[in-house]
Amino acid sequence: MEPDRQAYDRGQTIFSPDGRLYQVEYAREAVSRGSPSVGVRTAEGPVLAARRPLRSPLIEPESVAKIHEIDDHAAVAAAGHAADARRLVEVGREAATGHRIRYDEPIGTDALARAVADHVQEHTQTGGSRPYGTALLVAGTDGGLFEVDPGGTVAGWRAGAIGADAGEVRSVLAEGLEDEPGTLDRGIELALGALAREDSLEPEEVAVATPDAGEPATFSRLSSAEIDRFTPAS
Amino acid sequence: MRSELEEFGGIDDGTEPTGIETGTTIVAVAGSEGAVLAADRRASLGGRLVTNRSVRKIEPVAERAAVAFSGTVGGAQAFLRGLRAHRRRYEQRHGEASVETIATVAGRLIAEGGFGVGLLLAGVDRGESGPTPAVYEIDPAGGVLATEYAASGSGTQLAYGALEGSVDTGGTPEAIEETAIGAVRAASERDAVSGDGVTVARLSGAGVSIEEVA
Repeated sequence: MEPDRQAYDRGQTIFSPDGRLYQVEYAREAVSRGSPSVGVRTAEGPVLAARRPLRSPLIEPESVAKIHEIDDHAAVAAAGHAADARRLVEVGREAATGHRIRYDEPIGTDALARAVADHVQEHTQTGGSRPYGTALLVAGTDGGLFEVDPGGTVAGWRAGAIGADAGEVRSVLAEGLEDEPGTLDRGIELALGALAREDSLEPEEVAVATPDAGEPATFSRLSSAEIDRFTPAS
Repeated sequence: MRSELEEFGGIDDGTEPTGIETGTTIVAVAGSEGAVLAADRRASLGGRLVTNRSVRKIEPVAERAAVAFSGTVGGAQAFLRGLRAHRRRYEQRHGEASVETIATVAGRLIAEGGFGVGLLLAGVDRGESGPTPAVYEIDPAGGVLATEYAASGSGTQLAYGALEGSVDTGGTPEAIEETAIGAVRAASERDAVSGDGVTVARLSGAGVSIEEVA
């Protein structure tokens, strides 16, 4: 470890002289080591897709959770520490449930993202805790797609990526994205193409969630057979 | 304070909710492949003034379950928001909730809550042996009783009178619907705070459909 960093490494609540929070930056590093998740906004609502880290052929792919339902109308895709993600999913579900009890309506995607981000931010400022090593893409049937990063920042995206090689994945998305939001099918293709990049993708290796055609629309996961239609040929 | 509360056919005796039934006529019957709920549509203030003549006292709470309620309007609305929230949280963690699970949660909420409502819960579980209808009676103190048919509200005795002669538990969907609607109509004839038509909910393996009938 570089000696000049040591003093500022001890707590995430301590700024370095140049105004950086090293622990938060390390948390972002943890995210960039996680398998990637992407989101693409379409005319029919946002698509979430994530690559499952299958570390052994013996593992049950379905048990590796990358996409989590938050409410009927909202879901998140995570990258980074899976256990940290689970806690943030719970925070999101509490926010969504509380909103329904108080207002008898589904929470907006932007408000949901901010509620989770508020919790994440608290852990960059509270002594004795560590930041979350997880980033989330929050999507809702109201059309919203937001990223929550380990610093507690919220950003809206037309198409976004988090996790390993997020920069490269984003360039694939940027190349394929048209000016106007496209169809859901086109969005799924684009999302899976960006996850695969030059590789091929097996349907078991990915999770995909999209709004369905119901009224009101709910988020649901695609089955392996449905995903198979879209996966880039091996 | 109590007289400020709008009730479903409740009789205002000046006391706080005590677990005694307060109003309305609601009926539930389990059949061979489904269940049915029926309710009148009248709301009243203090049992003396009809305040609303198109109240829906039956609400879906899950894909194949619904509740009919009697008691205070505000309590019923707050209770429904709570029950739906708990059902959603349960399903995120454990998958689809059985009718019995929903009844347990509803009973606990009411026991804790001071909602001032009594409920009939009906639903259909989808087991390996096909759809299984279930009916539960949940009293204002949170007691949960499984049953095949039940009536609740201020028209309870009138409704039971009609049910006992005609009910065929395990009957066809059409037969149990006719019985349930008939019992609510019979009670509406003589109970001063029940009336203004009937809401009926049909529960089957395919879901819930709710309809207003004259």
